[in-house]
Amino acid sequence: MNKDFEQQLRDALRPVDPEEGFEQRVMARVASEPMRSRAKLTRWAAGLALAASMAGVAILGAHQWQERREQEGLEARRQLLEALRVTGEKLDVAYQAVNRPSPPPDDESGA
Amino acid sequence: MNPFFKHSIVILCAAASLLAGASALAADGQLKLPNFDLLADKASESVSITLDPALLGLATRFLDPAKPEDAAAKEAIQGIKGIYVRSFKFEEDFAYPKADVEMVRKQLSAPGWQQLMQVRSSKEQQRVDIYILVEQERANGLAIIASQPREFTIVNIVGSVDMRKLHELEGQFGIPKLDLEEKKQ
Repeated sequence: MNKDFEQQLRDALRPVDPEEGFEQRVMARVASEPMRSRAKLTRWAAGLALAASMAGVAILGAHQWQERREQEGLEARRQLLEALRVTGEKLDVAYQAVNRPSPPPDDESGA
Repeated sequence: MNPFFKHSIVILCAAASLLAGASALAADGQLKLPNFDLLADKASESVSITLDPALLGLATRFLDPAKPEDAAAKEAIQGIKGIYVRSFKFEEDFAYPKADVEMVRKQLSAPGWQQLMQVRSSKEQQRVDIYILVEQERANGLAIIASQPREFTIVNIVGSVDMRKLHELEGQFGIPKLDLEEKKQ
């Protein structure tokens, strides 16, 4: 039994020549490893750049929207004050007309 | 269904919705103002202001309470839902279509509108009419129509108009203190 086991071990550990092209395959794989890392890094960088540019566009858009909103708000405020001014002006005309002292009765009789 | 009935129902529905729309228009105090765009080209001065609830809200946010004028305006527009102003001045007499002004004046004969003041000056050919829309003993709208040979102004304020607050605008926008009880017609 011990002899059999020894034989099996010997068979298993006998030197075997690698398959044809093994060396090339190993060398090719070794050469491609840095390329893979570089590609991975490039993809990350591209993703980051895209995210950053999207964030930049979003911030710029938000800033422009806020600026436009502020302009609209200031314009609305100006219009409101103008509307109240016109309203006041016309109420003033009515007020003055109502409060104008009526001519004395003598004037009406022509005396 | 009989086509005659079908058409009648459609016409009735359309009429009902038109009436509902018209009454809603009167109810909320907003007048239907004519399109004065072409008139603005003829006018030497023109003011066309349309402040709907959204714009009025926006304007309110930009009022600076530290400024007396802004603070007074903020106080005055509380409860107001819209302000519409059309004002035109011309170089010559009656360059504006009187019919347009009359069309607005006509809307003020709708139920709810009451004439608060009427001023006629034959010397200056000036006419100022002030109306309020009274709903449940509250002024829910204000309309001013002022006309002279060379100018006319229409002001329509929609919403709860507090005349006392208009009082408080005295000195801010040239609005005098109005003794409304005494002058009311």
